[in-house]
Amino acid sequence: MTAALTLSGISHRHPGAAQPTLAGIDLEVQDGQMLAVLGPSGSGKTTLLRVAAGLEQPEAGDVLLDGTSVLDVAPERRDLTVMFQKPHLFPHLSVLDNVAFADRLRGQSRSQSRATAQRYLDLVHLGDLGPRRPRALSGGQEQRVALARALAATRRVMLLDEPFSALDNHLRTSMHQLLVEVRAALDPTVVLVTHDLDEAALADRVAVLVEGRIEHCDTIQTLYTAPKTLAVARLVGGFNELPGVVRSGVHHSILGAAALPTSLAADGPAVLLARKEGLALTEPHTTGTATGLVVEVRQSGPHQDVIVEMASSRPVAATRLTVEVRLGTTLRPGDRTGVVLPGPEGLWVVSGASPQVAERSSTSMLTTR
Amino acid sequence: MTPPLTRTAHLRAGRQSEGARLVAPAVILIVAVTGTAIGAVVATSLGLLPLVGQPRLSADGFTALAGDLRAATQESLLIAIAATLLAAAIGLTIATTIVRAGHGVRLVVALAVTVLTVPHLVGAAATGLLLSDVGLAQRWSGISPASWPELVGGRWPWATVLELAWKESAFVALVVTASLGRRYADLREVSVVLGAAPRAQWWRVLLPLAAPALASSSLIVFVYSLGTYEVARLLGRAYPEPLPVMAYRLFTGIDVTARPQAAATAVVATGLALSAAAITLPLVRRLGADR
Repeated sequence: MTAALTLSGISHRHPGAAQPTLAGIDLEVQDGQMLAVLGPSGSGKTTLLRVAAGLEQPEAGDVLLDGTSVLDVAPERRDLTVMFQKPHLFPHLSVLDNVAFADRLRGQSRSQSRATAQRYLDLVHLGDLGPRRPRALSGGQEQRVALARALAATRRVMLLDEPFSALDNHLRTSMHQLLVEVRAALDPTVVLVTHDLDEAALADRVAVLVEGRIEHCDTIQTLYTAPKTLAVARLVGGFNELPGVVRSGVHHSILGAAALPTSLAADGPAVLLARKEGLALTEPHTTGTATGLVVEVRQSGPHQDVIVEMASSRPVAATRLTVEVRLGTTLRPGDRTGVVLPGPEGLWVVSGASPQVAERSSTSMLTTR
Repeated sequence: MTPPLTRTAHLRAGRQSEGARLVAPAVILIVAVTGTAIGAVVATSLGLLPLVGQPRLSADGFTALAGDLRAATQESLLIAIAATLLAAAIGLTIATTIVRAGHGVRLVVALAVTVLTVPHLVGAAATGLLLSDVGLAQRWSGISPASWPELVGGRWPWATVLELAWKESAFVALVVTASLGRRYADLREVSVVLGAAPRAQWWRVLLPLAAPALASSSLIVFVYSLGTYEVARLLGRAYPEPLPVMAYRLFTGIDVTARPQAAATAVVATGLALSAAAITLPLVRRLGADR
């Protein structure tokens, strides 16, 4: 099946920049699918969308819509549209005429285009705000109008460039719900750029973009359980990293040996990844557990994170593990506790990484010092 | 609980009141200076402030030279309207070039700023040297002086209009460019991804966004062109004179009894300028200057 949007070998470099912004990006989005491009600030997410939209020219590669290259097609004639981070409503037009803008460009009469626009305004629950000027809207309402305007353009692919990042949590959640409703109603093909995991979770697939490269493209569940690289694990967050070596299906680290799922049995240097919610605390010095010293108890949303410094026979490698527990833990800094690693199904390894990799990372949940 | 809309209305009223307090000193100063000047001119034109003799309320200042006053008004309106339209068109074109062009923008901006720094007196003299029947343009073109069109001092105020349009188009361009700013770049991209071709981008985005600044700067150009003395004096014909030239001539003439006529001429020019402002300012507001 031909993908609705294909980005093939896209490379891009900003003028005067030493490093490329995008390096050989390959992505496909199927008809009616929603792909999230997840990455930290400066990873090239917005540039990727701008290249797809034709607002920036790539250094190399191709952009295809339904299998046909549109690299030489002017952005206004490409069959895709963009919803930007800011709503950018036309201040000289009413809300209704903002939504009707694309139809007016297509030569439809004012009344025809307004009738169509009204349907899209109803879809985003702002049906009664058509006569208002954009300056009379709240931030959330402006974004809804921008979404309605992008939908009313009825393009093959809709590109969303962190459209909800400036909204507060409540509004963002309602926009997420709205996006789900819109997908159910119209089944559009969407590429959503975001740095928010909750937002990325709305998509069918998530492509993780780090320093201009796609590190991993899969479902959000896979990203949480089996990240392909350390960079992905760190972006997703919540992983403890234990550098070590895999031998005969067992990972050996300063915490000892941990059996791995058989599919991960390739021998060699590897970092063991264990999610903080997969670890458990127990009485210290219990058989089969590692014992450590609680150094911090931190509030983390509706849970608490207990940071435990593990005892080690090697003086250069005191290791900290983060364990997520329910609210109300009685542990305090200075207490001793046991830490239980999950079974093989709760562990994951990223091969090829040396312990130094983890040492360099300041974002790693597990630190060596 | 206060409904949101009412709260917004209260906030807006508070902001307006705050704004009025802030501008009050400037408004008082302007009203005092301008009001005194206009009051004195009106009083003089009505015979209430004669240089010699007793004050006597009279419309003689307006009626004594009614024919000349009418001709001067027509000449002034012709110059001001033509110069304003030309300056607005050229200024908008330059502004469009500046906001659209990726390269060479600095050169265009630098040229516009340079034009603004040239005094009108110098500009008028240079225009005369360039466009007169023995000017540089005539010599470069090789056209004989007899065949050269009467651009300076002729029946139509070509040179006056061209000089004013040349200088004021740079002013319009910079005002419009500054008003568009980064906002236009963002909205242009939005229009592009919604399918707007370059012409539609100009017509549906740039022009509406530029309209308030274009209208207000055009009003300033119109008022300035209506009141300018030196350009029309150097490049215009002897008769009919535009209003400022006529007012100055009458005011500085040896006949001190002509002062009411000079003042009446100035009152007509001021009336035209205020009328233009009264028509344009609501238009500027309707075009969305407050958005």
